[in-house]
Amino acid sequence: MRCFLPLWRRELAAYFLSPIAYVVTIFFLVVMGFSFWLLASILVQGEGGVTVMKELFGSVFFWLALLVVVPLLTMRLLADEKRTGTMESLMTAPLTDAEVVLAKYAGALSFFVAMWIPTVAYAYLLREFSSESAPIDFGPMMGGYLGAFLIGAFYLSVGLFCSSLTRNQIVSAMMCFAVLGLAFFVGFMPYVSRNPAVQVLGMYASSVTHMLDLSRGAVDTRPIVLYLTGTFFMLFVTVKAVESQKWR
Amino acid sequence: MIKVSHLTKRFAGCTAVNDVSFEVGRGEIVGFLGPNGAGKSTTMRMLACYLPATSGSILVTGRNVLSDSLEVRRRIGYMPENVPLYPEMRVDEYLRFRARIKGVEGSLIRKRVHEVKELCGLKDVGRRLIGQLSKGYRQRVGLADSLVHDPELLILDEPTIGLDPNQIRQVRALIKDLAQRHTILLSTHILSEVEMTCQRVLILNEGRIVASDSPENLKSLLQSGSQIVAEMRGPREEMYEKIRTLPRVQRVAAYELDSWVCFTIDCEKDADLRIQIFELAVRHNWELRELRIGKKSLEEIFVALTRGEPEEVLP
Repeated sequence: MRCFLPLWRRELAAYFLSPIAYVVTIFFLVVMGFSFWLLASILVQGEGGVTVMKELFGSVFFWLALLVVVPLLTMRLLADEKRTGTMESLMTAPLTDAEVVLAKYAGALSFFVAMWIPTVAYAYLLREFSSESAPIDFGPMMGGYLGAFLIGAFYLSVGLFCSSLTRNQIVSAMMCFAVLGLAFFVGFMPYVSRNPAVQVLGMYASSVTHMLDLSRGAVDTRPIVLYLTGTFFMLFVTVKAVESQKWR
Repeated sequence: MIKVSHLTKRFAGCTAVNDVSFEVGRGEIVGFLGPNGAGKSTTMRMLACYLPATSGSILVTGRNVLSDSLEVRRRIGYMPENVPLYPEMRVDEYLRFRARIKGVEGSLIRKRVHEVKELCGLKDVGRRLIGQLSKGYRQRVGLADSLVHDPELLILDEPTIGLDPNQIRQVRALIKDLAQRHTILLSTHILSEVEMTCQRVLILNEGRIVASDSPENLKSLLQSGSQIVAEMRGPREEMYEKIRTLPRVQRVAAYELDSWVCFTIDCEKDADLRIQIFELAVRHNWELRELRIGKKSLEEIFVALTRGEPEEVLP
């Protein structure tokens, strides 16, 4: 793991040097800004309650942003290395496959976190410019951030895996979008099926429900375990996919 | 340094490398020569631990490339074909990054990067973006990258492809320079390059080694007889007949150059017929403007080895 740091640094720097990352960030901040505007307009009507943070973390816009942004952030990671052939110089350096995969994942996750940082200003704005003394509670807000981080971490690992399967960035992004969309809509199973088993499964796997809980400030360990193990599993599969490609 | 035994690599439906065995000693410059698709790159990729072999074994400095891969990779500087680089990075930045991931100690990185930049003529472009460099400079960055951790063995896949003649000359000089400290294995399909830079040539064809020797030995080995080139002016048919019937002549080929006829005469081994040909010309009053011993180039040998007989030029 000695080489993890330089690899991670290069990966993060590559984001800041590519135009796609800026376009994606702008798109993300515009959508989140719109969510914030909705939140503020509800607060103006004086309806501030415990569930108000869901306007920021549980809205359609939040999910739209997450489902679009993640594939765009991860599509490049391994696919582009394979297309340009830099995979060859990377893999002939004394690095393990796990090091490379983890550094790439860490780079993507760091950029994802960096993308969220400007939204911290929302809390400050509400505090500073509201007539009420405490228009929002920080607990639910932290819960919302935790949820965004966990779900983002899992989605990014799925994106990294998709990127390891192809040489083409577009194919990688489409694959990731399809898989994430599928995973997202599993959460709506209870609405379309009467089968109790499917309903229970849907409830457990519903990212929307998890976000609604967390943005109320209810931190349940079950979704945390789900997303962490999911991330770990996807990273493991990615390492195996990279390894196996040498043998073909 | 390198010991390859019975190396075979099969891809779906084709055998790229077929039962290849060879050894490379410390300090040698060995050239891989072969037509496109002969298995040069595949062999090099296997040596560089990028592709695993289907069967057979590779030892580099006594270590197996499969079981001791990281240790082997630390000792190899590998420059892939077409030199893949990150276009968004600056030259300095890239070399420092490569030095770091190849395990060069932190305190030595600055010094090593400086050294390889000097060696490869990159001093003036350290701040430039790799994506904006010309092909020749990119090639040098690739070479600098393969040298940055001071490897014992350099594996260069087509190091001069796509360069202009001046740059080719520079890269060749650089390779010769490097040979004093490193063992070098390079591949090429340009024959003169091997003749100029390598001490030993391995000729590959269709995944097999068809010859392995020094360029000079290969030439003499394949030159069973000697060859004389003569350019004369006179009655064509008569000249051709007279030369063909000289003693110890095996074969005569002729083609016309303006009003001159250029004969290529294959003789028996060690036969020098220049005097006889000169006398022939004097006796029949033919004009003679060139008379010399012809040397088969490595190119002809290459063609002979990889395609069968060289094409004959008949009158």
